[in-house]
Amino acid sequence: MATEKNYGNPELEAKLRDRYLYTDDTNPEFLNDVKKVSRTIAHMCYQCGTCTGSCPSAPRSSYRIRLFMRRGVLGLEKEALNDPDLWLCTTCYSCTDRCPRDIAPTDVIMAMRNLAFKYDIVPRNFLKTVQLIYTTGHGVPNNDVNRSAREKLGLSRDPPTTHSYPEFMPGIQKIIDHYKLKENADRILAEEGQ
Amino acid sequence: MAESKHQYAFFLGCIAPNRYPGCESAAIKTSAKVGIELLPLKGAGCCPAPGAFGSIDLNVFYALAARNLVLAEQMNMDITLICNGCYKSIWEVNHILKHNDELRDGVNEVLKEVDMEFKGSIDVWHLAELYYDPKICGVNKLAASVTRPLTGTKIAVHYGCHLMKPGKERHFGDTENPMWIDELVEALGAEAVQYRNKMQCCGAGGGVRGYDLTHSLDITNEKLINVTEVGADAITEVCPFCQLQYDRGQIEIEEKFGKTYGIPVLHFNELLGLAQGMSPQELALDLHGIDCKPFLEKIL
Ligand code: SF4
Ligand code: SF4
Repeated sequence: MATEKNYGNPELEAKLRDRYLYTDDTNPEFLNDVKKVSRTIAHMCYQCGTCTGSCPSAPRSSYRIRLFMRRGVLGLEKEALNDPDLWLCTTCYSCTDRCPRDIAPTDVIMAMRNLAFKYDIVPRNFLKTVQLIYTTGHGVPNNDVNRSAREKLGLSRDPPTTHSYPEFMPGIQKIIDHYKLKENADRILAEEGQ
Repeated sequence: MAESKHQYAFFLGCIAPNRYPGCESAAIKTSAKVGIELLPLKGAGCCPAPGAFGSIDLNVFYALAARNLVLAEQMNMDITLICNGCYKSIWEVNHILKHNDELRDGVNEVLKEVDMEFKGSIDVWHLAELYYDPKICGVNKLAASVTRPLTGTKIAVHYGCHLMKPGKERHFGDTENPMWIDELVEALGAEAVQYRNKMQCCGAGGGVRGYDLTHSLDITNEKLINVTEVGADAITEVCPFCQLQYDRGQIEIEEKFGKTYGIPVLHFNELLGLAQGMSPQELALDLHGIDCKPFLEKIL
């Protein structure tokens, strides 16, 4: 018969015997939400760690993709969405290519970011891009140095995009407004005092 | 004049036309020499940036990419593009909407407000894959267009992430050690050198460059170490955002980490332009953050 290990610490013993997760902070719907947005089988993760082992962000930060996968399965919504590491994924898809369970952990992260945004949790650089596209159609708009360089190359000073055809801008703005994205970006940035 | 039987709507994106216009003009001129004609996709905008927009609201990401796709559908023409980030948005959203009725209906409801409808009638290609495709161009035809071979130069290919990965949903085969862009580089007469962790990300994507520049540059730095180790004369890529990360990134790395590499970074189209006899001026190489001279001296 196997003998039970004893660490001589009743409090620790009780903790180790407890195989259940007790926390008021879980949201049983979190996993379903993640699966719906990511369209990947996030519940299939068996925590092998191949994803973290493939991740270029892991060796230089506390970001662990495997941890986020576990948080998804356990419904630890607040823990996942409030962790600043959520935004350190470069979306390189190495983990997705290597996951032995054919899960797309990258898309799980994207889904969690989408869910975080619903609570206004979002780094400001993402919102600045929204504002730029709303006003110019481009995330990286043209500038004067580039305009004269284009001219020297025999290209039009502005590319044949929304820059040359501003009549296409209302279409872009209508699409963004449909989702109230610009409105929310402006509001969050204003609340943060820019 | 080369015959132009292959016509495409040229989706520019943002960084190529607005930061590295040499990539844009090189794409137009080099492809013409192998019988590919690129026509302007009027009124296109940002792809939209998959990291920034996809992270906030995937529905907006789908709808804005669909708007760009519809512009090409209206021209009745396949899209070609020269940026991995654009490929992720434009190719992937085209693919998703063609195969997912629920998402497509959702997107079309929004597009109705701007008098558009996504039909799924066109395909999307990266120009590099057209160069590699023997039905369109192929390695031999590309090699035949070379008038100034890049003989004696060692080039490290950075494939980037969003063109080939996730491999299961793409059509490029092996994503651990691909060789097809290396073959394209060798067609120009250069030696494509192999280096450690070739498929690692440049560090820029997913909004990380804007969110945590030091973290992002640290990833770039690792790639630069690996590329230097094998004595590469230049890095080539097929993504202006990777280009920006390596090129401007080297200046930022010097400021932040005190490390100097000075490795020229050229988009594959710029490299092809040089091999087809274009001058550095015609490619606006002076706009690059890292001086291309050490590389140019080897071939000019
Ligand atoms: S590689 Fe896949 S199965 Fe393994 S821990 Fe990561 S997500 Fe889970
Ligand atoms: S996609 Fe994100 S989580 Fe996955 S390996 Fe790349 S950086 Fe890490």
